[in-house]
Order: sequence, then structure tokens, then C-alpha cells
Amino acid sequence: MRASRRHVVQASLATGAVALTGCDGLVTELGRHLGEDVPPQLLAATGETIDPDFHLLSRATYGPRPGDLARLRRQGRTAWLEDQLHPERIDDTACDIRAERFESLAFAPGDAYAFPRPVLREELVRHTLLRAIYSRRQLFELLVGFWSDHLNIDLGKGDCVFLKPTDDRTVIRQHALGRFADLMKASATSPAMLVYLDNAANKVRPGRDDRPNENYARELLELHTLGVDGGYTQRDVTEAARCLSGWTFDASRVFATNQNRAFFRAEWHDDGEKLVLDQRIPAGGGPHDLDRLVEIACSHPSTARHIARKLCHRFVSPAPSPGLVESTAKVFTQHDGQIRPVLRHIFGTAEFADSRGLLLKRPLRFVVSALRAVAANTHARPPLLDTLRRLGQPLFEHPSPDGYSDDEAAWLGTLLWRWNLAITLAAGRLPTVTMPLEQIDVSLAASAASRSSPPKHAAAGADMNDGFIRWFAHLIGRQPTGDEQQSFAPLLPAASRHEHTMLLGMILASPAFQRH
Amino acid sequence: MPASPNTRLLLRNDEAWPTGHDATLVVVFLRGGADTLSLLPPYGDDRYFRSRPTLAVPPPGRGNRSAIRLDDHYGLHPDMAALEPAYRDGRLAFVQGVGIDNTSGSHFECQDQMEHGSSPTTAPVSGGWLGRFLRTIDGGQLGPLPAVAIGKSLPESLRGGPAASVLERLDEVAVQASATDLPLITQTLASLYGAEQNPLGRQGLQTLDLFRRVASLPPTTATTRRTATYPDNAFAAGLRQIAELIRAGIGLRVACLDLPGWDTHFFQGATDGQQAALVDRLAKGLAAFETDMSSCRQRVTVLVTTEFGRRVYENASQGTDHGRGFAAMLLGNGVAGGQVHGRWPLEEITDPTPSGPGGLGIERDARGLFAEVLQHVFAADMAALHQVFPGLQSQQTGLFRPSPSKS
Repeated sequence: MRASRRHVVQASLATGAVALTGCDGLVTELGRHLGEDVPPQLLAATGETIDPDFHLLSRATYGPRPGDLARLRRQGRTAWLEDQLHPERIDDTACDIRAERFESLAFAPGDAYAFPRPVLREELVRHTLLRAIYSRRQLFELLVGFWSDHLNIDLGKGDCVFLKPTDDRTVIRQHALGRFADLMKASATSPAMLVYLDNAANKVRPGRDDRPNENYARELLELHTLGVDGGYTQRDVTEAARCLSGWTFDASRVFATNQNRAFFRAEWHDDGEKLVLDQRIPAGGGPHDLDRLVEIACSHPSTARHIARKLCHRFVSPAPSPGLVESTAKVFTQHDGQIRPVLRHIFGTAEFADSRGLLLKRPLRFVVSALRAVAANTHARPPLLDTLRRLGQPLFEHPSPDGYSDDEAAWLGTLLWRWNLAITLAAGRLPTVTMPLEQIDVSLAASAASRSSPPKHAAAGADMNDGFIRWFAHLIGRQPTGDEQQSFAPLLPAASRHEHTMLLGMILASPAFQRH
Repeated sequence: MPASPNTRLLLRNDEAWPTGHDATLVVVFLRGGADTLSLLPPYGDDRYFRSRPTLAVPPPGRGNRSAIRLDDHYGLHPDMAALEPAYRDGRLAFVQGVGIDNTSGSHFECQDQMEHGSSPTTAPVSGGWLGRFLRTIDGGQLGPLPAVAIGKSLPESLRGGPAASVLERLDEVAVQASATDLPLITQTLASLYGAEQNPLGRQGLQTLDLFRRVASLPPTTATTRRTATYPDNAFAAGLRQIAELIRAGIGLRVACLDLPGWDTHFFQGATDGQQAALVDRLAKGLAAFETDMSSCRQRVTVLVTTEFGRRVYENASQGTDHGRGFAAMLLGNGVAGGQVHGRWPLEEITDPTPSGPGGLGIERDARGLFAEVLQHVFAADMAALHQVFPGLQSQQTGLFRPSPSKS
């Protein structure tokens, strides 16, 4: 039975996209035809501080690709952002051809067990990475990343590796730009989450001495909604666990009739009256207790503040002002937890505009922004995945429910590997990754030639410097400071190709490129 | 010229004991479930010979391939000879009856449970015990390379730890540029990161310092390294890399290394054969490492563990099957060595259901052993131990000699 389903899916996918034949070269060609190419002229920033359009790109995408800046200038920030907030308006065929090639990710949990763990793990990571690099729906992918951290699932625990692909599809990607409470309801009944935080074993059977399993209930309140200082009590945790009891997932592949989905086991549910966060849930609610609990938790004022703070930390600065968090929380509440208006609000604030260069890039962003900036061609094969692992963010492996940290300190320990990635990428020595450096060179020079005035920091030997300044501005969004020019001076003039790639490597390794 | 045993004892007591910063723990994991009954044969117990007609190591005095006598009860496998001096000098201890409460007999499950330092009966934990321990240390006190695993992948025990690196060779801790480009590149990085007055800048300079220190270590050869002679195999090479990193003084706290191949179901061999070859490899590697580290200021402790021991009886294929309790090893200057800690005779677990495979009894949970190691090697306090092993009542059982009062 499973074999024939696989064949059906395979056949339908094969007729849909040539990419499924597994030919990377063909995929690359198709991508080129669908507009992944480097434009003939590239706009580069000319200011001393980070260009505002560049800034929006570096926060609302994983990093600008060649051509993005010009497109944003033409469209204007408001219209561009609106498009990003409505990803369905953006054609993403080029990315789909690269990223929607992984058979194992299409299956519901029961059938996913047919695949070996390492295959599922690798395909999930490759899919995520490819979408981050190539999707035109960049803000959507950023929110997918944000919620994947917020609702962390560790593939190493139990059967989670078989269950996360479904969670990625039907929970995270389904609700990333939607309504927070809907996302939470989907997460609470996601087999991956039920297993990860043990709610699948949360049972209160009549006549037994069962205590509800509080693991998920606690994390639901502490991490997912109100936050650790949100004002819930131990009593609330216990009551929440009672609401959640009975929701389970049956991993037994042989005998279960409910392999694919979570289901509610009435005989495991504590159906009495509950009091959670000062709200009464009458007895007899059955499966609807979960919905009630989620709505109560999501509409608590602390939740709005908690989510607002996390979004501001991710998109604005390491220490967003209380005013920004409050105003963001207000928008969250006013719009019933819809994420789009919240993002629109954040990106429109003066604090956002003033936060240029304040955030440290976490490893995923560092790698992806580098690959995007040089229009790299890759199919995210193991050498690239090893790099992510070296940098400390191997994706879906964070061992605790709080997800990969947003704190700078957590990521500073792997600088050596960042530098090595920068050097090997620039030198074209990163296996399975290529990039059109000369094309970008030509396009940057073409843009400069068409400008009437020279860039601001015209030092002696300006001709030699120009190339460096153009590249710096292309990667960082501003002109280099006097200090930076001094640091790079020994590498100039970068006349030979070798010197040129060394210079590029050093810009990618510089502190400026570690930030956004 | 090595000091006589008495003077060495004297020297040890006068040395300043670490506060934890200059201590390194090396964890050697014998993958496959090592038959420690062969490494440390209890020749004084007749059941050993009755259970193992072909596999028993001959008792002391029966020729040059018989057990090395330790005391009236225990011997050492003849291929453990390289570690005999360490035992006599009190730097090597065995801890009998270690195990975990997992009856699955599955390599995967038992390795995971041991490396996660978890137990079905206590609160769930995340990541590995070494990773959790490293997280209890303030990030500002950890250098850029506090933990390393020699091999191809990060062991579960280090998961969740900050900046734990996997290396196969030491020269991976390097900026990947040619010798001609390197000076210019390091100069540029030093200039760029030196100009930053913030954590990023500081970490950059520290990283350059790490690289400088590693790069300035003299190249090593397999044959001579001070008084240490490392054998020519991957395990010894791994230990040598670890020794280099320790000598570089970069603040390496934890190093992990595997020695695989211990799953000896078929024709295990007694004093020759596949297991004996591994024993020889283990002993000679550790002996060379120990000699290498003897002149090092850093306090180095080695813990040798495995996921489970093996059955007391030999099977029909002259091998042994998955068991339960095993003897762990501790090697280092602070170890209460020259003895086997733990009771004998241990009850044999023979009831096949529902507790799973039989084997030696378990007197000491592995987490308890690990906790005591952390306490003594790193001066880990109760708060930290509680974070690493929630729900565990850790105790001091005398595996380490008490620290003298600090001068």
C-alpha cells in the first residue's frame, strides 16, 4: 500500500517539474531562465550609514540578492513590504524547482516512517536552507524560521524526526503569517509537539491515580504564550495540563488506525471543571478544552507582550525599548493576534529605522546572506550542511524547547568557522557552491560608470579603491569607515583574481558583515 | 628520569589543586558494550572460569599470557600491561558495577541515555550531560574552544554545549588560507576586530589568539614526543591531538574520543583475538597520553566508559552478548587509584524478563559516577550538578583523593 502511494506521488511530481529527475545542473539552468540571474547593472549604496532600503532588505529578507535593492527602490518600501506580507502574490517557481524536490517531506507521519531517519533529517534541513536562500517570499521564510524556533522541535527526540515534516507543512508554514492563536492550536495538536513535549502521554484516567503530564502545559505557558514572567501560577500549569489531557498521537505503526494525525482519547481526558488564568472552563468540554485553553492563553495581555518582545528582538535590536514592545503588543491585541499588522507596525517605526547594524547575524543568516549576496548557486548538499553544523546552528537540533537563542553571546564562539566559510566561499573553494563573481563585478562597475559623481570616500588611488568600495557597499549597505579603509588598505590594490577573492573573503569575514 | 613512587607522591601533594579553570576532562567512550570482565578479570571468583570455559583470562602465574595480579581477587588482562604502572602508582582506578537503568539492550538507546545523562524516572533533560555542564559555566569564562570531540561527529554527550567543535585533526583549528596569504589575512582580521570595542571584537581577538597558539605548536611525529610514544592508530592519534590542544593552554575543558569495536558477540578471544587487540590499543594509547601529560601543568583526568557491559557467561559462538553492569576507569593524578571501587561479588542479573538482558549487577548509576567526576575535576557545585542531573542525589564515594587545603 505504501509503495503504490509513493509511486503515485512520484509520478505526479515528475510530470510537474523536471527537477525531480535529480539533475542539479538542469535545475540551475531553469532557475536562470526564471530570473535568478545577476542584472546587468547593480545599484550600490553610497551613504556613510546603512542605506534605509538596504536596511529594510537586510531585516525583512535573509539578505539582499543582486538586483533586490533596485527593485525595492522602484517599488517603494510600503508596496514592497505589502507584497512580502502577501506571499501568495509572489511567484516562487524558481525556488520551488530547487526546493520542492524532497520526497520524504511530502508524507504524513504514518508514511514518513518508511524513510530512514538520516534521510528525513537531511531533506528537512536542505529544504529549509534552499527556501531561505532562494525564495522570493523572504519575509514568509523569516517568519517560518521565527516560529520554528518559538515552537522548537528537536529531531533527536523520540520519533520527532518522522513527525516534524508534517509540523513544518501544516503548522508552521500554514500559519506563519496568520493568526497566532490558530498557529498555537495547530501546534498543540501537532503529532511532533505532542511527542516532543510529552502531551501524547498526558492521561488522566477515571479510577486511577493518574497525574496529568505537565511538560507541555508548562512550556505552553512559559515559552509559547505568556512567557516566564507572564504571571501564571503552578496551579494554572496543572489546570492547563488537565485541559490538554487525552490529546495524543499513536506512533505504533502496525496496529493504529490513527497513524497520521493527533486524536483525542476521551477515556484519557479529565473532563471536570477547570480554572485557568482566572477563567472558568465548564465541565464536559472534552476535546474543546484544548481550544478554550489556547484562546485563553493567547488573549492574555502577557502573551501580546511576550510575542511582541520576541519579534522586536528578532527584527529590531537586542534591547528593544519598552515603548516599542508596548506599541507592538497593542497592535497584536487590537488585531486579535494577526501577525501581518504586527510586522507592518514594527517595520514602520522610527526605532526600526534607527536600528541599522545593531543585530548580530546568527549562523543561518550569516551563511544565507553571504550566499544571497554573491548570487551563489547551490543545492544545499552536505558540505554546506556541515558548515551550518560547525557554526553551531545545524537546524532542528536545538536540544531544549526554547529554540535557537537570539542572544548574541550564544553565537560568538564559532567565529573561526565563519571566517573560514568567508575565505573558502570567496575563493570558490566551497564544495558544491559556485557563484558568478565576474558578473557581479561587471554589473557593479556598470552602475558606477553611469553615476555622475564619484562615491564620497575618494582616497588616493581612487580607481583601485573603487572596486573595493563598490563591493563593500554591495555587501554591507554603506561606504567603509576610515578605520575600515585602513584595515583593508594592505589588501589593495586587489589587481589579480586571487587578490580580489581574498578581499571579498575579508569583507565577508569582517565585523560589519557579521551584523545586519 | 622518572621519579620514584614515593617522591612522586610527595610532589603531587605539594602541587596547587585546580579551581576548575586549568582542568581538563577527557571522556573515552568504548562503543559497542565493552566486556570489562576481560579487562579486569575477577580471577579470585571461581564462577568466572566456570562461566567462560574458553574466554576466561588465565589466572596469574600461568605463563606470560595470564592475568597480571593486582590483588587476591582481581587481575589485569595481559594487554593492559601498559597501564600497570599507573595502577601501581595510584593514578588508575576501576569502578565496578556501573550501569544505567535501561533494559533494552540496544546500543542506540543505551548510548543515548548514558550520554544524555537522563533517566526515565527523573525530569526530562535536554542535550548531553557534558553540554549541560558547559552551560553552567559563565560564557565569559569559556575560551573559544572549551570542548572538542575528535572524530567525525559531535557525540550526544556534548549536544547543547556552547562552541563544542568536532575535529579530526588539529590543523583544522586554522584559518584556511595558504602560507603566503596567512599573514595578510590574520593582520586584516586583527585590525578589523581590534577596532571593535565590544564582545564581537573581543571574541575575534581571542579567536586569533587561539589560532596563533595552535599554529605555534611544534609539529609532532608518531614516534617521539618527549617521553611519550604514541602507537600508530587512530585512537592514539586522537589522544595525541587532545594532548596538543591541552598543551596549547587554550582553556580546553572537555575532550571526547571514541574507541569503537567492542561488540564482541562472536569469537571474542581471551588473551588474543579481536577484543585483546582493542584492549592493547586502549592501554597503550592511554599510557602514552598519560606520560605525555605528566609534565603538563594542566590537571587532566580521563574517564573511560561504555554503554553496557556484557554477559557473565560466554555464548555458543565463543563470544559474549549484551549485558548490564561494567567497570569504568578513571585515570589521573587526583584519582584514588590502585584499587577497584565497588563491591564484589555482584549479584548477577539472570532473570531474563522483564528486566531484559542479564549481566553484572549495577551498584552505581552512571550519572552518579559522572557527577562525582564533575565535582572533583571541575569543582562543580551542587547547583550546577542539579542542573546537569536533575533529581540525582549525588554523593562523594571516594573515587578521588580529597583536595589538600589550598595554599
